[in-house]
Amino acid sequence: MTSELTIARSIGRNVLQARGSDALADWFRRLWRGALPLLWGLVFPAIVLPIWFAGTYWGWLPQQILPTPSEVWSTLLDMLRSGELKMHTTISLLRVVYGFAAGTAVGLALGAAMGLSRRVDDYVRPLFTAIAQVPALAWIPLAMLFLGIGETLKIVVIAKAAFVPVVMNTSAGIRNVPLEFAEVGDTFKFSAWQKLRLVVLPGAIPSIFTGLRYGLTHAWIALVSVELVASSEGLGYLLVWGRQMFWLDTVLVAMIVIGLVGFATDKLLAKIEQHLQRWRIHGA
Amino acid sequence: MSGHLDVQHVSKRFQVDGKPIEALSDISLSIQPGEFVSIVGPSGCGKSTLLRLLAGLDRGFEGNILHDGKPIVGTSLDRGIVFQEPRLFPWATVRHNIGLGLQNAPIGRTQKEEMIEAHVRLVGLQGFERAYPHQLSGGMAQRAAIARGLVNRPQILLLDEPFGALDAMTRGKMQIELQQIWAHEKITMVLVTHDVDEAVFLGDRVIVLAPRPGRISRIFEVTTRRPRQRTDDDLIHVRNEILLALEAQEPKPSPLARSTGDLIERPAA
Repeated sequence: MTSELTIARSIGRNVLQARGSDALADWFRRLWRGALPLLWGLVFPAIVLPIWFAGTYWGWLPQQILPTPSEVWSTLLDMLRSGELKMHTTISLLRVVYGFAAGTAVGLALGAAMGLSRRVDDYVRPLFTAIAQVPALAWIPLAMLFLGIGETLKIVVIAKAAFVPVVMNTSAGIRNVPLEFAEVGDTFKFSAWQKLRLVVLPGAIPSIFTGLRYGLTHAWIALVSVELVASSEGLGYLLVWGRQMFWLDTVLVAMIVIGLVGFATDKLLAKIEQHLQRWRIHGA
Repeated sequence: MSGHLDVQHVSKRFQVDGKPIEALSDISLSIQPGEFVSIVGPSGCGKSTLLRLLAGLDRGFEGNILHDGKPIVGTSLDRGIVFQEPRLFPWATVRHNIGLGLQNAPIGRTQKEEMIEAHVRLVGLQGFERAYPHQLSGGMAQRAAIARGLVNRPQILLLDEPFGALDAMTRGKMQIELQQIWAHEKITMVLVTHDVDEAVFLGDRVIVLAPRPGRISRIFEVTTRRPRQRTDDDLIHVRNEILLALEAQEPKPSPLARSTGDLIERPAA
């Protein structure tokens, strides 16, 4: 119809469709671009690991305090083989799953209510902020008196840790959906339900997902805290127990597993988030 | 034929910092079915306010606004609107965005698909149905917004400076396209703009508003036959008259008026 359209169309085609002959080159470029941050991320481990080796080799610290990397490695393999590591990890993971699920369910509901209704926000916000200011760890002594030291305690403490960021980001995400979009809904006579489904929720999804990611991170941190204080199983317990027995190799193995699991779950959520927000990714 | 708008003695006040500001003062205007009316005026003359009242987006005004004899209460599917920004939902494709206009249309699914398809064609966005808004140029995004405004066949389409954010070349092309769409759809269109050329090129009538308070200062008929050429002598003649009218309602520049800015009540010349 017009040359402007033609130009825009050719740009659009570049963005939208296959890349044709230079697909291979592009594939390599993307591989390189994906690998580069990974390589940068390996710089620090590459510096620290030799120092660790050197430290144990020349005995800068007593061996009870800093075991050799090979010792930690063989302990890791032993614990894998005996199933001990799997048992502790499974227990910890299950606690996080239950706690995170409970905290997220309540958090999403409350966050949505606070985001949608100014009145609910006015009622709940001060108390919520006060509760949020007290770290999960600080709730443990009081919670112990009410709940004992069983599974309920752990799940409640983890749920609280996940709950706070989910509420904050959900309510903020809903509140920040531009009024302009709601007006578009008005001109098409959207019902309240249609506005929620077609305008508010899709607009708030990025923020809600940020909340979920923070929630999961906090849940994982709270898990370790609560297992340190009150547990006889799980990765946190492994840490305390290892320290008491002066098995520093066990302590290090537990720390490595905690780090790896946390890293993996965060990456997984990031992937899901990326998938849900394809429309946000600019260019190719 | 429907699509008649009757504005009777409409005034509108806003509270700004506790003080009432009169945005519109005693506006009366009758718009015929199928007519193209342009509204021009300097910024602050209330032209967008008037359009929002016609759309039913804002309430709380004095006077009456009737759409085919019935008072306007809230928005209506019979009145579409295109805003200055496209306001496409960034999470939805072009097709889905246009389809938003049909959410509450009493027609079946296949019919909706056909309507969307027809309006994608009408605005020349074939091949971009699955594109997301960030993948479109400004002109294409505004085309999608026009399609969304038209898709449920409103009797009236309200346009609030729809091409204001586009570059001059794109704007010119979009005006020609809008003229074609109007000729094709045969519905009433009300266009708010600060571009006098645009107002004259598209309008059967051009309403000139004066600011503070917003009121109608002049109404010009544009009788030039369509399709129009920008170079038509009588178009240029009307344009010059409108520019003179706008200039005449500006106050004489004086150092005092400049330093105190908008706070001074200016008499219309």
